Amino acid sequence: MIANFFTIARRNLLSHKAFSFINIFGLAIGIAASLLIFQYARYELSYDRFQPDSGRIYRLQLDRYNNGKLSTQWAAGAAGIGPVVKEALPEVESFARLREAGTTVASYKDREFRETRMYFANDAFLSMFAYKALAGSSAGALKDVNAVVITTSTARKFFGTEDPIGKTISMNKSVDYKITAVVPDPPPNTHLKFDFLLSWPTLVKRAGPDLETQMNWDAFLTYILVRPGTDPALLEKKINSTVQAKFGAEMRAEHSNMIFHLQALPDIHLYSHYMFEAEVNGDGKAVYFLLAIAVFIIVIAWINYINLATARSINRAKEVGIRKVLGSIRRQLIGQFLFESLLINGLAVILAFLLILSCLPLFNYITGKELHFSLLKDPVSWLILAMLFITGTFLSGLYPAFVLSSFKPIAVLKGKLSKTGHGAFLRQSLVIIQFAASLILMVGTFSVYQQLHFMQRQDLGVQINQTLVLKGPGVLDSTYTNKLNAFKTEMLRLPGVRQLSASTEVPGGKVGWNAGGIHLVGSDPTQSNQYRIIGIDNNFLDAFGLRLLKGRNFYTGLVDSQAVLFNEAAIKKIGFNHPEDALNKKIEFWGKQYTIVGVVSNHHQESLKQDYDAHIFRYFSDANAYYSLKLTADNNNWPDLITSVRQQWKTFFPGNPFEYFFLDEHFAEQYKADRQFGQTFGLFAGLAIFVSCLGLLGLAAFVTSQRTKEIGIRKIVGANLPNILLLLTKDFIRPVLISFLIATPVTYYLLQKWLENYTFRISPTPWMFVLPALLILMIALLTISTQTLKAASANPAKSLRSE
Amino acid sequence: MIELKRISKWVNVGGKPNFILKDINLEIREGEFVSIMGPSGSGKSSLLNVIGMLDDASEGEYYFLSQAVHTLKEKQRSQLYKQYIGFVFQAYHLIDELTVYENIETPLIYQNIKSSERQAMVADILDRFQIVGKKGLFPTQLSGGQQQLVGIARALIGKPKLLLADEPTGNLNSKQGEEIMELFKQLNNEGVTIIQVTHSEKNAAYGSRIINLLDGRIDNNI
Repeated sequence: MIANFFTIARRNLLSHKAFSFINIFGLAIGIAASLLIFQYARYELSYDRFQPDSGRIYRLQLDRYNNGKLSTQWAAGAAGIGPVVKEALPEVESFARLREAGTTVASYKDREFRETRMYFANDAFLSMFAYKALAGSSAGALKDVNAVVITTSTARKFFGTEDPIGKTISMNKSVDYKITAVVPDPPPNTHLKFDFLLSWPTLVKRAGPDLETQMNWDAFLTYILVRPGTDPALLEKKINSTVQAKFGAEMRAEHSNMIFHLQALPDIHLYSHYMFEAEVNGDGKAVYFLLAIAVFIIVIAWINYINLATARSINRAKEVGIRKVLGSIRRQLIGQFLFESLLINGLAVILAFLLILSCLPLFNYITGKELHFSLLKDPVSWLILAMLFITGTFLSGLYPAFVLSSFKPIAVLKGKLSKTGHGAFLRQSLVIIQFAASLILMVGTFSVYQQLHFMQRQDLGVQINQTLVLKGPGVLDSTYTNKLNAFKTEMLRLPGVRQLSASTEVPGGKVGWNAGGIHLVGSDPTQSNQYRIIGIDNNFLDAFGLRLLKGRNFYTGLVDSQAVLFNEAAIKKIGFNHPEDALNKKIEFWGKQYTIVGVVSNHHQESLKQDYDAHIFRYFSDANAYYSLKLTADNNNWPDLITSVRQQWKTFFPGNPFEYFFLDEHFAEQYKADRQFGQTFGLFAGLAIFVSCLGLLGLAAFVTSQRTKEIGIRKIVGANLPNILLLLTKDFIRPVLISFLIATPVTYYLLQKWLENYTFRISPTPWMFVLPALLILMIALLTISTQTLKAASANPAKSLRSE
Repeated sequence: MIELKRISKWVNVGGKPNFILKDINLEIREGEFVSIMGPSGSGKSSLLNVIGMLDDASEGEYYFLSQAVHTLKEKQRSQLYKQYIGFVFQAYHLIDELTVYENIETPLIYQNIKSSERQAMVADILDRFQIVGKKGLFPTQLSGGQQQLVGIARALIGKPKLLLADEPTGNLNSKQGEEIMELFKQLNNEGVTIIQVTHSEKNAAYGSRIINLLDGRIDNNI
């Protein structure tokens, strides 16, 4: 029986190559896309789960309130909370705390590199996160002052084949650290990636013993390991009541409050977007968006199979009739058609494997991820594949099987079966679903790009073009300020350099220095607020084109250290409506007084997802984070310029690696994730439309072939080519149009949701729907016309003779 | 073998019954070779379909080998005709995707006959019909007469007691038609009961009895 099924299925596949191709290729694309997305989603969801205790590790996230209002939300809160909860609550087994060390030049002998993935960490960290030492010992590795733990690749980078244990590595050529252990590299799927762990006591020694218990300085990641069986919700309550008992009175006096939340370790990567995250985290919404797209595509492919199978049922009907007359019972027929579905799905799976293998590099490039095709090693992937295969076989096979097997043999054999009517309603409904899904994806793609375009075209309020930014020297000495001034003079001598400004920040990211407790002199200290502080020299405003609205810039040639500039947002925050009102007011800033000497226009420090931030500019004569070289517009000779700058750098700042970037590119980096999301979205939207059109092509081919006789007769009685085309096209365009009507409100809703992510955003216009709809309509028309044109221009005498 | 009692069949057209078969009483014994004749639309094919259990009557009783067919469920009916009835069609109705050999073999598959046995049976009938050389060909590669020969071979492979033929020579030229009729005659001599629908007096003459139908009734006046 099976052999017979197989024979029939094989011959059917081969004799209707176009249909087989559409079915198998469409399904293969669906399966490949789904598998890729599932794997991507699984990777995103796998973050930090490799930690053996991932179920018991939580991060303490801190929300700060001012006057009853939520003011800041910190991924990295105050350092003092760890000991407090460990002491008060027996559920807490241990705590780990970390503080980013900032960009540092690390050197060993003649090897020097600028390092960014560096943390101060306490001794408990290594055991909690199960980084076993490959050399040295992890127990007590971070206990002593000036101890450092490095990763395998860091060890290789600095020491090659030498044994690093016990050797010293110098940070900014000022502090030497002794290497106590080498641990494996953190895998890519952890939110906490490091190359160096500096010992916590070193930080305590530098900042003073109060650091251990302070609750006012936020910058410290705190993780706790809890006893097995601890209820996190309950623990969270206990932590907060402990905090209230200990600091409640003090906080109430200041009208402030702290609320801690427990973040499960595996949730951090996708759901945590607070201040001072260890890295820019992923987007849980995007992952589920992509999963939905995966489902869309595979469903579209299944629909193709159902549509083509039922449409072609008329051709198979004769076979069904004969088989029934020859004694087949219905069950056997259902079995036969399911078997065919199984065969086609099986072939599709094989093709899907080939597609994935060949497209993986492209997929990685577009999504910006590094996925390997580890399907064969991963039982869950097998499970997903099996599910796709079985669901596909039954879902797409059952309906045609039941329809076909229900035919009355006598009706079929006598040719009494209506020709195209069978299942037409179902087919049209399914086509509507396919194209509604396609439109949603298409509008989504358009909108993502529109939003990106909008953000990149907006006036940032700050000049970022023609700007070469050097990463400032980390290795400094007492003569730095003089050196900096001399370096500036040398730089301005180079042809094409218009201006140079040294600052603690450049546009393109969140300002790292967040200062609280700032208020007007004479006002109630409890009404103080938090501001982002940027240290600049007196060239900064000119170099970056920030407009001075009122007052003056910092003095030239003088150390103007008691003066500050506010931007408009900061003025508003401190309580003035007009810039002139703020002039010459004094503020209290960490025990010192400063005078507001000028007000500058707002600028976009970050991407347009964020609102304007409240900035205070302070005068720094020795800022060393960034040197921004503003170049004249006619300068096209980058390589020569960079060579000259590098030469000067080597003489002025020996021992510091020379690194630079162009500011516009640096700023655009912020949109990388959005761009990748857009590209990924676009890719799969394209695939969905392609598979939908494959199905439409198949249907069009089939229905026109069914109507050959009708077309012939119509031509004989006088229909011309456009008449026929209209007749044939009408039936296909109607469901596509209906699908647009259905998809538009759904898309509008989803679009609004997505745009809420951006503070500065486009508003949906009718064109954003009409254009993609027209595009899809055109693609659909083109697809159909390949079939209809052929049928409409055929010689009627021929088509009628064959009947 | 076959007994029809007051068999009627109608379809409703505009609320009124339109009779296709009316009040048919008929008995056919084993070994007969019956020809059903009549003008177009007289109900010949419908009667054949009722006898072949491909179609239900609206009213009346039908006994096949003394089983009350009108009371049987579809599955039992299928069991019955699988075992006892073979069909031959005017349009041959071979499965285009299967070879001559596979077409003939198909009924045996549905009767759950073992593969080795099937081979022997198909080989036997191919030999008898002298179409061994054609067994690998597909229906479209054969002439009409050859296709009908395959159709008959397929109908006979299950060794039916009753062969039903709906204008078996309708699509054939006269020489091919004669050969088919000769074959029927021979089969009838071997004991197979045959009922054929035909327009042709000449073909009807091969049979032992003629039933004339007119407007759904048996016309005994001829």
